Amino acid sequence: MIDVQNLTKQYAGRTAVNNISFQVEPGEIVGFLGPNGAGKSTTMRILSGYMPATSGRASVAGFDVFHQSIQVRQSVGYMPEMAPLYTDMKVKEYLRFRAELKGLSGHAMRRRVGEVMELTGVSDMRRRLIGNLSKGYRQRVALADALVHQPKLLILDEPTNGLDPVQIRHVRDLLRGLKSKHTVLLSTHILHEVEQSCDRVVMLHQGRIRANDTPQNLTRQLRSTTLLHLEVEGTGKLAEQLTALPGVRKAVEEEAKPQQPWRKFTLRVEPDHDVRDAVLELAMKQKWRIREMHRQLPTLEDVFVELSMNAGLPTDIPTHVL
Amino acid sequence: MRIFWILLKKELHAFFVSPVAYVVLALVMVLNGFAFRAALSVLESAPSEGSIVSWTFHAMWFWLSYFFIFPLLTMRLFAEEKKMGTLETLFTAPVRAWQVVAAKYLASVIVYCVLWLPSLINFKFAHWITAGEVELPSGAMQGAYLILVVMGMFNLAIGCFASSLTSNQIVAAILSFTMSLMHFLMGVFIMVVGSRISDTIVDIVNYFAATEHIRIFTAGLIDSRALIYYLSMSLLFLTFTHHVVEFRRWRP
Repeated sequence: MIDVQNLTKQYAGRTAVNNISFQVEPGEIVGFLGPNGAGKSTTMRILSGYMPATSGRASVAGFDVFHQSIQVRQSVGYMPEMAPLYTDMKVKEYLRFRAELKGLSGHAMRRRVGEVMELTGVSDMRRRLIGNLSKGYRQRVALADALVHQPKLLILDEPTNGLDPVQIRHVRDLLRGLKSKHTVLLSTHILHEVEQSCDRVVMLHQGRIRANDTPQNLTRQLRSTTLLHLEVEGTGKLAEQLTALPGVRKAVEEEAKPQQPWRKFTLRVEPDHDVRDAVLELAMKQKWRIREMHRQLPTLEDVFVELSMNAGLPTDIPTHVL
Repeated sequence: MRIFWILLKKELHAFFVSPVAYVVLALVMVLNGFAFRAALSVLESAPSEGSIVSWTFHAMWFWLSYFFIFPLLTMRLFAEEKKMGTLETLFTAPVRAWQVVAAKYLASVIVYCVLWLPSLINFKFAHWITAGEVELPSGAMQGAYLILVVMGMFNLAIGCFASSLTSNQIVAAILSFTMSLMHFLMGVFIMVVGSRISDTIVDIVNYFAATEHIRIFTAGLIDSRALIYYLSMSLLFLTFTHHVVEFRRWRP
């Protein structure tokens, strides 16, 4: 569906996208992930036919994005960042205008506009001026616009940006529902979102692809240790005994309180080791009581930080921007 | 072509749902009223060779309205879309740049033509109420409205161009105002210093001067040179606009 070969985009004196190549198969939901300024929006603008690349080649649905721009735009539903809309139009009026621009007309156009309004949940707002809508509703109107001509490929630039948690869940469900009919390329800087809804992740950093794999594989590949959280009742030097277990690098007791019988530990475990059975056996032998045991698998966030570190990048990126 | 009509409809809609068209219409009607009143008082005071049409369009009031119309009608065309980011949505739909430029331009031309309709009523009304005493020579009428339309087309094309250059509507308005004013001042320049400079320069400048065109056309003379000049200049500025809009898609 998408074929990108050695794509580079330079703005005056700055390289936004640096020689990237990737493919997207029909029916996939692919997440573009990266901090702000990684080149996500630039790549999406090139793919949607809005601007040309400096060098390299990209094609969408078999059409070259530069030479067959009109055909590309016909097969792509693009939702830009910030969802810009004409604020002086009403919702239904705007969607009909957009549907006509994209080649629908007459009865089919009116029916389709009704469908996408229903799908994105803006039916109740159809007679409201877009300028008076909340951010969440504007976002949905923009999504309805992207969907209206039933494009083969949806390119959504930060579709959940500025939405509340309920709306984010709604958009996520919507995307899953679209999977059968559309290929989706979406960008985000929220890792959780990618883990939830994407088949594949393309991680961008400073204009380059850092990783391109399924979310599960990426986390599996992660070489950093898994963590085991433990809450036990027992006396003595528990931490030392736990550290002595094979596979455990180090057990640390968290904020031991003298009056509290329950003590919390965090175990750093070697990769590919599952020490839960061993911990349980030890507890039974020592007559400890266990109230909680929980293994924390590495998240995409950890992958991301690790990849950034490996690339010699600053590691103190606040996690909330990732 | 279908896309063009859809865009044109949308642009006209934008003019008439926002207060812009009505504010400009009100302004033009008021200033037109003053211009008409000035022409009537000229005719009252002494017998005159000129008709009421030519005196109306020579009034200072007419020129005052003339300068305000173009920036007000064209400043938002591209600048607003750039600022709001909707240019990106627009150009990721299957539309071509020329369709957008032509639709925006034609919409402004249509609104501009609507602005002059009340002045027509002024003339007809004066003619009717005086039982034909106020003459409306058909040559003068046709000439006056023809030159108004082509001069308008020229200035609106300049306005379009100005709007495509910036994302700030005020900057666009000042640019187009300045260009229209310069064009007008050429004629004033000749009026002031015309007797002291060589005839060749006077002739050359008069070829471009809006005041001179108004003088000739409201006298009922239809001069094809002026028409060609304005129409070709309009096309030139629209081509510039198209290039500016397409600049984004240029490849190094």
